[in-house]
Amino acid sequence: MLLNALPMRACAPARSALEFTRLFATATPSSEVSSTSSQPEPNTHFRITLRRSAISLPANIKGTLVALGIHRRMQTVYHRHTPDIAGKILRVKELVEVENVPESAVRTKLEQRIERKAPRGYIVARSKFGQLDI
Amino acid sequence: MFGAFRATQPTMVGLLWKTPWKLSRTRKANVRSRLKKVDAVIEAVRASGMQCKSLVQALELPKEHEMPPKDKYTVFSRREQGYRKGIHKVPKWTRLTLRTNPKGF
Repeated sequence: MLLNALPMRACAPARSALEFTRLFATATPSSEVSSTSSQPEPNTHFRITLRRSAISLPANIKGTLVALGIHRRMQTVYHRHTPDIAGKILRVKELVEVENVPESAVRTKLEQRIERKAPRGYIVARSKFGQLDI
Repeated sequence: MFGAFRATQPTMVGLLWKTPWKLSRTRKANVRSRLKKVDAVIEAVRASGMQCKSLVQALELPKEHEMPPKDKYTVFSRREQGYRKGIHKVPKWTRLTLRTNPKGF
């Protein structure tokens, strides 16, 4: 029942419970990922975010965004450092924001969505259905 | 005198949009912030170590702090008196790079 589920979501959970759910709900993506080892990981990818829309700009600009795999504003894509990607970024340099990130910071679309998700606010202490995963 | 039916230029002559001849202080600040954002993108691509022709061309552009105010807020126009017009008269000007002038201007 939806009505039964609502108060559960609204009630403030214990602090430790929140932190626990955060463990698998949201891993914060950091721009400067510092590895635990002494030497920092080399940057291998471009993190490209579309900040400005290409609406009513020439078709070659819109096509460049399609080639980069971007189809909406604020979408983030990752591309390996290659000269052709660098050229594409520079073609749309007024529209995008670019960062150099190491391999470990690369996220797929699904991973980005999971990281965006808010923590549920509760944890399942036990279930009569046994050990169900999430 | 006041109200919805007062005699003003927009109500009397129909469609009338006025574009100010120069940018306000706020709009100029926004211009500078956009220029800096484009500079940051070029710098990020340069820092990646990739080499391509478009990067060479992009690095030839003056950076925001190297540009004189004249180039930031106005562009060359062959029709204007004095050959300059406000950059905000250019269609899509917030998403274009208009940093350099033709030779001799």
